[in-house]
Amino acid sequence: MKALEEKIIDASSLEALEKVRVEVFGKKGILTQEFAKLKDVPPAEKKDFAQNLNTLKEQLQALFDTHYATIKKLEIEQMLESQKIDVSLYSNISNKGSLHPLVETMDKIIDYFVALNFSVEVGPMVEDDFHNFEALNLPKNHPARDMQDTFFFADGKLLRTHTSPVQIHTMKKQQPPIRMIAPGCVFRRDYDITHTPMFNQIEGLVVDQKGVVSFANLKSILTDFLKYMFGDVDVRFRPSFFPFTEPSAEVDISCIFCKGEGCRVCSQTGWLEVLGCGIVDSNVFEAVGYKDVSGYAFGLGIERFAMLLHQIPDLRSLYEGDMRLLEQFR
Amino acid sequence: MIITRSWLSEFVDLDRISDEDIYKTLNAIGLEVDSMRRYLVPKGVVVGEIQSCSKHPNADKLNVCTIDIGTKQPVQIVCGAANVVNAKFVAVATIGTKMGDDFEIKPAVLREVESFGMVCSASELGLPELNEGILILDDSIGELVPGKSLNDYPAIADTIIELELTANRGDALSIRGVARDLSVALKRKLMGFDFKPHAVEKDLRIDDVATVDMKDYLDADLSYTLATCKDVHNNLLIQIRLAFAGIEPRGKLDSLLQYTTHSTGVILKGYKAEVFKDAKNTVAIELSSRQKGIVEVLANDRVVSVLGVNQTPESIADDETIKVVIEASYIHPKLLVDAVSGSDIVTDNLYYNTSRGSEPELALGINYIIKLLEDNTSVRFVNGTLDIRSKQKPITLEMSSREICDIIGMEIPKKEIIRILKALEFTIDERKGDSFICTVPFFKQEVTNIYDITEEIVRIVGIDNIPPKPLNFTEVAYLNGATTQHQARKIIRNRCVGATFSEVLTYAFSDATKLAQYGFVAIKEELRLLNPIIDTLDTLRTTMMINLLEIVQKNINYNKKSLALFEIGAIFDENRKEREVISFIFSGAVAKESIINIAKPAPIDFASFVNKLANAIGKFELVPTTTQNGLIHPYQSADIIIEGKVAGYLSRLHPSVQEDFDLYDTFIAQIDFDAITPKHINARKISNYQGTYKDLSVVVDEKISLKPLMDSIAQLNILLLQDYYVIDIYQDEALGSNKSVTIRFFIQSMEKTLQDGEIEMLMQQILAKLHESHGALLR
Repeated sequence: MKALEEKIIDASSLEALEKVRVEVFGKKGILTQEFAKLKDVPPAEKKDFAQNLNTLKEQLQALFDTHYATIKKLEIEQMLESQKIDVSLYSNISNKGSLHPLVETMDKIIDYFVALNFSVEVGPMVEDDFHNFEALNLPKNHPARDMQDTFFFADGKLLRTHTSPVQIHTMKKQQPPIRMIAPGCVFRRDYDITHTPMFNQIEGLVVDQKGVVSFANLKSILTDFLKYMFGDVDVRFRPSFFPFTEPSAEVDISCIFCKGEGCRVCSQTGWLEVLGCGIVDSNVFEAVGYKDVSGYAFGLGIERFAMLLHQIPDLRSLYEGDMRLLEQFR
Repeated sequence: MIITRSWLSEFVDLDRISDEDIYKTLNAIGLEVDSMRRYLVPKGVVVGEIQSCSKHPNADKLNVCTIDIGTKQPVQIVCGAANVVNAKFVAVATIGTKMGDDFEIKPAVLREVESFGMVCSASELGLPELNEGILILDDSIGELVPGKSLNDYPAIADTIIELELTANRGDALSIRGVARDLSVALKRKLMGFDFKPHAVEKDLRIDDVATVDMKDYLDADLSYTLATCKDVHNNLLIQIRLAFAGIEPRGKLDSLLQYTTHSTGVILKGYKAEVFKDAKNTVAIELSSRQKGIVEVLANDRVVSVLGVNQTPESIADDETIKVVIEASYIHPKLLVDAVSGSDIVTDNLYYNTSRGSEPELALGINYIIKLLEDNTSVRFVNGTLDIRSKQKPITLEMSSREICDIIGMEIPKKEIIRILKALEFTIDERKGDSFICTVPFFKQEVTNIYDITEEIVRIVGIDNIPPKPLNFTEVAYLNGATTQHQARKIIRNRCVGATFSEVLTYAFSDATKLAQYGFVAIKEELRLLNPIIDTLDTLRTTMMINLLEIVQKNINYNKKSLALFEIGAIFDENRKEREVISFIFSGAVAKESIINIAKPAPIDFASFVNKLANAIGKFELVPTTTQNGLIHPYQSADIIIEGKVAGYLSRLHPSVQEDFDLYDTFIAQIDFDAITPKHINARKISNYQGTYKDLSVVVDEKISLKPLMDSIAQLNILLLQDYYVIDIYQDEALGSNKSVTIRFFIQSMEKTLQDGEIEMLMQQILAKLHESHGALLR
């Protein structure tokens, strides 16, 4: 008995253990041979003999099972260890592309207004004088209509200088109420460190019955919007002038870099100008044939938002595909 | 527009109002402050009264002065400036004055003569340079008391404020104009200008010596007076203020005229009277307006000026002119601008003011210049003015305070609205209830409707004082085409990124020469861009590929070895019609070098490119291309078919273009954006029975492309054929001019598990079809 137990315990691999199993429990194994002796045992001792033998078998089987489990576990552990790799080798091997920060910023803005029940509207880049200027209360010879800023074509058409003509298209094909934004690229003849000949704007327009839409409403939505974009900032409205809105205002946020203390980015003023807005001028409504309505409009440059949000130093790098910059936006 | 604090305070009381308050108020009322700077001269610089001045015994160019600087004894100072000789009051930096970080005034000996201080020039004091030599003080800046600190004179230690005025604020293009707004906001009275000229020849009426003859009806207001001037002088106050304001007058008389215009906003001109003199020695001024908005002043049938636009140099009165005709004029800016724009009339520096709207209250300007001339010149005026008034009627608007409050979204009492408008010089006729009639003053040329009036109210009430209020609106489902398109773009962009492409944006312009060089269509001549910004962006793009190639080239210079880019944007056809496309470019290694590829990534090849493209845009078929341009590789290019239609092309970049741009192996693709927008999908029924994969290898002529082979299988329309695709193409010598094609089929029935015999029959049917159509034989 002791010898058998030792045999089992001495087996140090599954293979050796299998050999022991055959030797002990197999068809020709020691136990089988012992059971075979039963027929030669006198009848009076038979019962005891069988009982002893069964007990012994059970004990050996239990010992075998336990030892088997131990060895099995050990072997699995050895196998696992042999499969060890250095996972840190595989950090950052992604070939995923990057999304353009400008388009991402545009989408973030669009998402806000779509969530507030605004429609997205689009219009052509090649526009006529009426939609780009005339209908927006920018009659010919208006000082705000600087010839140098506009790209013209040989047939008298022009590249839109702002997204505002989309307002006109939309108002001409729909009736109030209108809640729309118009994202898109616009063009001005300017090319230096702070200007590119093409840039992106988002324009917003809300029109409803007379007496419904007010300047206070405009303040409400824009203040909330700027906090959504820039976090906890102060928002300041300053009276300004745009031909297509009256009263008009420019909107500043407290400088996100110096928290209003004054720094290089905000030219020491503590404020960053981020958008323009106002109550839609009645001349604009007249141009599209609307009567007895009220409305507000606002517009912003997406480049400025993207540059502020992501601390991008150079405007032109956005259009020049410098992957040293763009790849960072993975 | 530059204003100064001391200048402003001539028109509005700024007592106990700090610079900071002025800054805030100006910004709040829509007169944006661009910069504000307080001038201070060094501490220790005082008024000095020269008691004597004599030549330095040992130096020709030096003078020795005895100067009273308020101390018990006058001090001796050696001065090198020539103009000290005739000076009485000067600025003296006393001993101990720090003139800069490392320059302190100390007693000195100059060629054996002692000197206790320095007589200063304007620039040494940090002021704008006014004249050569030392700064000569006069009492225009206040009573000159020897020893009094120069910083105690508000006109010297002034605060200079630069305003960035918007185009609608012609009314604020003068000191008085700004003061008018400021006075309303600060609730201080605008000071009147009460002045009676006294240097007037009582017996000589202007009618006796001058006439004005109008040839046509004039849309202008004019006022003329006649002065006899001698020794025109301009004092320090005028000089320094003009310098602060950045105005450079042509002479002393001109400085008085420009000072008046900057003060009052009234446009003034001085003419030599002699140019108008006719045979009878009368100053005969002729006015003519052949075109609306253009008013010409003629002298002896010759045009000497165009109102608000220019003046001939010969007619301009200068400091030597004795008889001067002074003209104040006003013309409505819109009339003027409409007439001048597009014409070739040369405009002078006052056109900036006249085109935005100058001050129409001409008497203000005439009286102001008369006073300045009386103060600074020995002058006599003839009695009265010759005046012309246009028939321009003031605008009257009827409105209610209710409407104004609705636009602002805030309750403002009618009383307050009326107070503000009256203070801004609107005339108000109150009506019953909340309505009133408002007459717009002439200087507010831009005010034409209730919105303009509301703007005035908002400015003064303070935009920051309007409480934000959310809008109650009617819900409308706005999910239109553009909104859906936006969502689609977002999905596709994210897929592209997953398929390793990075997003770029480029200009909608391109280089016409390069477009032509690589065989892309040009926009028709009659639709071309007239005024491109630079030669390399001289047309709207008809492909974005050139822009993308340039970007790749640039990034290779930045040591990038693998570039996968995409752009979604508009391109234009020859008729300048825009269309949205997505373009891809892949150049260099198929992936970044890494542990995975043991630092040796393979170069991009056709199969990998197509695979990446498919991961980005979804399923498509490829057929030999029909697209033609100079970028396409004739033997590794394809049209992209989506839902049976050509949606774009892909190609290996032509090797000669690759060389032109000095690139690695490069692949390109352009697809119409509309073709890849995510489509609606209906679920197919799924079979629960066992399916079988079967491979079939056939031998066909090597010239036969796979597309017709697959098409003929499709023609069989076998329902059991769930899927089939080529898995291998093999060629060796034994096959000669043939190739072996292995196609894998997945066969499955919706109704039962198929028997081997049924599958075998199906394969035979396919083989027969391929044999019949393409001569294919079982390999």
